[in-house]
Amino acid sequence: MRRNALFSPARILVIASHTFTHLVRMKVFYFLAVFALLMLAASFFEMPWSRTTEDTAEQELIVLKSTAMGAMAMFSVLFAIAATALLIPKDLEDRTLYTILSKPVPRLDYLLGKLLGVLLLVGVSLLLMNGLLSIILHFRTEELLMVEMAKAEAHGWPPEHLESRLTSVSQQGITWSLQAGIGAIFFKAMVMASLALLISTFSSSTLFTIVIAVVIYFMGHFTEDARNYWLHSQSGGVTKEMKILTQGIALIFPDFQLYNIIDSTIEGKEVPKGIFTRLAILTLFYSGIYSVLSWFTFRKKEF
Amino acid sequence: MEDTPAVQINHLVKEFHSPFRKTKVRAVDDVSITIMPGEVYGLIGPNGSGKSTTMKALLGLLRPTAGSCYVFGKNSLKTDSRQEIGFLPENPYFYKHLSGEETLRFYARLCGMRGKTLKNHVDKMLEMVSLQDARKRMVGGYSKGMLQRIGLAQALIHEPRLIILDEPTAGVDPVGSREIRDLIVQLKDQGVTVFLCSHLLEQVQEVCDHVGIIFNGKIVKEGPLEDLIAIEDQTEILLKNAGPRTLARIKALITDSENAEFVRMGKPRTTLERLFLDEAKKSHPAAATTDQKGEDHA
Repeated sequence: MRRNALFSPARILVIASHTFTHLVRMKVFYFLAVFALLMLAASFFEMPWSRTTEDTAEQELIVLKSTAMGAMAMFSVLFAIAATALLIPKDLEDRTLYTILSKPVPRLDYLLGKLLGVLLLVGVSLLLMNGLLSIILHFRTEELLMVEMAKAEAHGWPPEHLESRLTSVSQQGITWSLQAGIGAIFFKAMVMASLALLISTFSSSTLFTIVIAVVIYFMGHFTEDARNYWLHSQSGGVTKEMKILTQGIALIFPDFQLYNIIDSTIEGKEVPKGIFTRLAILTLFYSGIYSVLSWFTFRKKEF
Repeated sequence: MEDTPAVQINHLVKEFHSPFRKTKVRAVDDVSITIMPGEVYGLIGPNGSGKSTTMKALLGLLRPTAGSCYVFGKNSLKTDSRQEIGFLPENPYFYKHLSGEETLRFYARLCGMRGKTLKNHVDKMLEMVSLQDARKRMVGGYSKGMLQRIGLAQALIHEPRLIILDEPTAGVDPVGSREIRDLIVQLKDQGVTVFLCSHLLEQVQEVCDHVGIIFNGKIVKEGPLEDLIAIEDQTEILLKNAGPRTLARIKALITDSENAEFVRMGKPRTTLERLFLDEAKKSHPAAATTDQKGEDHA
């Protein structure tokens, strides 16, 4: 009898592609129509004080990006949590889990396959939304640049002033930093999917998993503030054990303030490569921890 | 014949925590079963007697509280042991968004099959369970009998040496049930070991070599079927075209003997199932060979 590999990337891909197909056939991509409508509405938006302040063009582009990236962040986190929370209990309820685990499929492969399938769906969704945003942003930026040039001609701006205006407007268009911001949205969804996977390994209902994951998601935005407040309010009396405890809590609850580069990219600020790389590593770390904990819970789970 | 048992369950005990009580519920109590390769073993018992729990322990879906389970010498808690197992759960549901063919392809790929081997196996299994015509249809639209057959096909897709069937004909009509039984007999002829769990006693009697009777988690009787059902102090003589005079002489002969006692004489009876199948065959010959068409309209 041949020995079964402890971990098989090929088998993980089989489960991931199946999970992806499963979710696609559940017609989840219909949300893209909603996103497209949202984008169209945002692209026609004009500031009420239009053409009255100097940076109106930039403000309009920021509104467009903010609407798009807000929707992207919401959809991706929602998908990541709901899809992950739904899949394992559904397999158990339909007894398809029995037929899968009675094949030579290690439980780790099953978990990672499901997670990867959800991430594949979130990734493809973000790519499609990003494509749509990029097209609209490109045309809107071009349009606004033309308006700026017309204004320069009408008011007789000096060339250096025009150049500065054009640079300022272009910075709010499609940039690598904007792509880094969308990358950060994916990272956030990745952390949430891994967390939802962990909860679903011991939860008895999909609703419980979704509620707990959403609570942790919101807590994650205050983790840093809470930790700083707690450590400073104990000034002078912070013991080593307390520090270890807070660090432990910080590990369990993801710190989403670290993902604030999304807001910076909406404002057109540049994101240094180092920060993006650090964020990618941190995301892998969080997802890795949650996946390992999921495996620990799931490997001895009885069905 | 191979010496290593296909299934070896040693003093299996499984207890479950009761949510509102301190005591534990013992679902399986010191069960030991050995099934040699090529045998068809039937585990029979009423609902809640511990049949499914025993099977789940053998599949590694449950951890024994005490005792151990081995499949061809491999501990059932190890993933390796499942390379030789095909499993059909009771009332299986498959992914509704996949067609019959996609379902089999998914399970075949899980077992490491690729390319031409995968295609050949999928075609072979669809033919075996008579689902070629429904291969492109979504499983969500399959009837109960068709689901059971696609379930059997997925269990056999990687050509396992042991197949575990939990109530394989539950909810299936007599024609579909007969087809599943025929498939089990076919597997037996191919040398596949079958571990069958059912409370339909007639079905078990038709296909099994060995039987275990489980009640309240304990095996109360076990052994070769023929030995278990034989009535030791009685002898059956079947005659064909015997006239009343012959029968009277036989009866007189028995009455004259010292120890023998005449018990009953009459015409042997067929089963209601056999009668149903014969009538179905007469009125609709195609339906008797396959319930495909009937189920397509279901």
